Amino acid sequence: MQLRGIAKYFPGVVANENVHLEVMPGEIHALLGENGAGKSTLMNILTGIYQPDAGEIIIDGYAKQFSTPVQAIAAGIGMVHQHFKLVQAFTVAENIHLGWSDTPRRASTHVLEARTQALAARFNLATRPGARVSDLSTGEQQRVEILRVLARDARVLILDEPTAVLTPAEARELFKALRVFAAAGNAVIFISHKLDEVLEISDRVSILRGGRKIATENTADCTPRLLARRMVGRDIVLADMRQRAPGARPVSATPVVSLENVSALGDGGHLALSGISLDIRAGEIVGIAGVAGNGQRELSQVLTGIRPASAGRILIEGREVAASDPAAFAESGIGHIPEDRLHSGLAPALSITVNAVMREYRRPPVSQGGIYRPTAATALAREIAAAAEVTIPDFGMPVRNLSGGNQQRLVARREIRIASKVLVAAYPSRGLDVGAINTMLRYIVELRDAGAGIVLISEELEELLNLSDRIAVLYEGKIMGILDNDRTDIDEIGLMMGGRMRISGAA
Amino acid sequence: MATFRFQRIPSASSGVAFAARAAAILLALAVAGLILAATGADPLDLGWQVISASFSSSFGLEDLALLVTPLILTGLSVAVAQQIGAWNIGAEGQFYAGAFGAAVVGLFVPGPPAFILPAMFAAGLLGGALWILIPTLARAYANVNELITTLLLNFVAILLVFYVSTSVWRDRTANSATPRMSAEIPEFWGSVHWGLPIAVLVAVAVGLCLAFSRWGYEVRLVGSNPSAAKYAGIPVRRHLIAVMLLSGAIAGLAGMLEVAGTVHRLQGGISNNYGYLGIMVAVLARSSAIGVIFSAALMAFILNSGIILQTQGLTTSAVLAITGLILFLTAIGDELAHYRITRDKA
Repeated sequence: MQLRGIAKYFPGVVANENVHLEVMPGEIHALLGENGAGKSTLMNILTGIYQPDAGEIIIDGYAKQFSTPVQAIAAGIGMVHQHFKLVQAFTVAENIHLGWSDTPRRASTHVLEARTQALAARFNLATRPGARVSDLSTGEQQRVEILRVLARDARVLILDEPTAVLTPAEARELFKALRVFAAAGNAVIFISHKLDEVLEISDRVSILRGGRKIATENTADCTPRLLARRMVGRDIVLADMRQRAPGARPVSATPVVSLENVSALGDGGHLALSGISLDIRAGEIVGIAGVAGNGQRELSQVLTGIRPASAGRILIEGREVAASDPAAFAESGIGHIPEDRLHSGLAPALSITVNAVMREYRRPPVSQGGIYRPTAATALAREIAAAAEVTIPDFGMPVRNLSGGNQQRLVARREIRIASKVLVAAYPSRGLDVGAINTMLRYIVELRDAGAGIVLISEELEELLNLSDRIAVLYEGKIMGILDNDRTDIDEIGLMMGGRMRISGAA
Repeated sequence: MATFRFQRIPSASSGVAFAARAAAILLALAVAGLILAATGADPLDLGWQVISASFSSSFGLEDLALLVTPLILTGLSVAVAQQIGAWNIGAEGQFYAGAFGAAVVGLFVPGPPAFILPAMFAAGLLGGALWILIPTLARAYANVNELITTLLLNFVAILLVFYVSTSVWRDRTANSATPRMSAEIPEFWGSVHWGLPIAVLVAVAVGLCLAFSRWGYEVRLVGSNPSAAKYAGIPVRRHLIAVMLLSGAIAGLAGMLEVAGTVHRLQGGISNNYGYLGIMVAVLARSSAIGVIFSAALMAFILNSGIILQTQGLTTSAVLAITGLILFLTAIGDELAHYRITRDKA
């Protein structure tokens, strides 16, 4: 499969220009690039969702034009999107057979499930044909997506950020399946901005920057540093960030925020956190490790007053908090970068100004005696945008028009302004590219040096090890142990993430 | 081969949006004119009749002003609820409830107008607010969709007013209305009463409040994304309840002004569908409180044109069809303003 001179222009933006890409049968080809480098646009062109403004797609020597995704699928190109396109209320078998010309016209549940079972066996992807998709874990859902694409005789499988939603074990399973698929003479295009997994899985890697292809390399010849430099266009230091800058505030002796035996209920009324005890001192970073969904969301909400604790005590500077009230928590100096900024940290349809002042609209200069002052609000928004190094042409524009990285920078800067005591940062680098992640981590380190306590929730173990002074591991709502960063390693944390208690006194 | 393609842009510029609306209304009028011409009428002559009857006599302008007043308020009622993310389909019922409340005071409480009118005013607000109370609480505490509950209560209010005005409070001389109330809102120009400036004032006040108060900021945030509002520490439920009650009170005020300013009796069908038309007024105004004043004026002109066309021998259904056509094309125009046509060369 070949792409020749592909170009795509959006109003005011060059999404792709003069992109050449060759993908050979039997290879796993990684596509690496920052957010907005044009990876998704390129794949949307290849799968017929967009039409190129220039260039051609050549498959097995013949030029093809895809005006709909159906034609691309017929030509053997299938894509698994980052956000799964499955019908939650349908079973696995029904999802596999949905909109597929091979589906028997009069199919009973039994027939569909038997066919699904056969497909699963053929492609070596274990699934439960009769289970409802909504009951599956994200890893299983992804397997269903892949199976659905493969069932339609795809020879080129495109995966967009496939590991973002997986646990390390699930990712290993996925990689194994991909290698088997490629070994049978098919091709895989693997989109990612995680350098390590690109190095692990791919045979060759193409790097996109600013809509253009920078290079295609044999993965064997690459190092993380080389790839990062190619991708960002400058050197990036991926290093231990635990060193304090000269003049940084020392770690305080007494905690600024403590949880004592705190439990909390999840949205479904089940016990999502049980008996959590955690001290956060000023000037330190406490990392929270764990597979997503083990109580991280509830922990960050309890720490910021959004979710009430069902038992236990929360102390801010030694004083017990009477009731959970997000405004009071923010007022006392606790900032919060939420895990899903578009859903809970921003009002996407409202202006950048309205979103930027969300934490400070209660006090002067933005409001005075109940009067809200739009000009003062825009001035504050301008200040926050300048600190976040985001250029904004129009502050009245809806915030959803900004890129994900810029939204996250604004949220981070907004929260850092009020986080005089503690910043709760939930997955601050999720979905960001290397450059933006570095900025985000720099913000956090600077805030630590300025004397705030940080709770860093992340699923990237290396990020946690690079930044945290102590790491607490969450598993099924409980803290399995709090580890000193100097005396632990990735393996120990990994074991605890899997539910093993720390062997006390040992080591 | 060159092909043309539509491309969606996230926010339309105000100039394009305005042009799209103007084009939509002109197109609707042109289509209506062609249909009228096909049936043998002279569309240009009819158009002239409408314009001259509406604007060249003070009677025409007075009629317009009397139509605008309730439409501003019912439109505002729907628009305000929209600001917090609720659909108040019940402005019709709240209008009746407000009219009912005002009539109770006007018919049965003795006293000078200086006392009775403010009391009717308060009763109108209260009636409207009470009528939306149950849907509000159901939405706030049990997450029951307010669309259904507010709609269903309309029928209760309409039939209640029908009942009292045709039986228990019936005037012996007029068969289907209550006796005339003595307290009347004073008129300041022909038959136009002070309800019009009050309605405009309320719309401006609500608009300013939403844009320039801390409360308004919080309401907009709750309406746009409740979980972000919760995250920012805003009492989401309290604001929802307050805004929905305000929405009902505003529709109730429309009913009170109609009773005390225009009709002076309580009668069945007093709302003239103002509550339902308010939904269209709010949609045309894109839920902007100030915009409601202008879209209510447009709606009043359309309604008034309909009445004039009926006197020229057009059937009611033809008039309704033209009204619908204008609204339909305006909605399409609004959506098209978000697109631009690009030409790509193959």
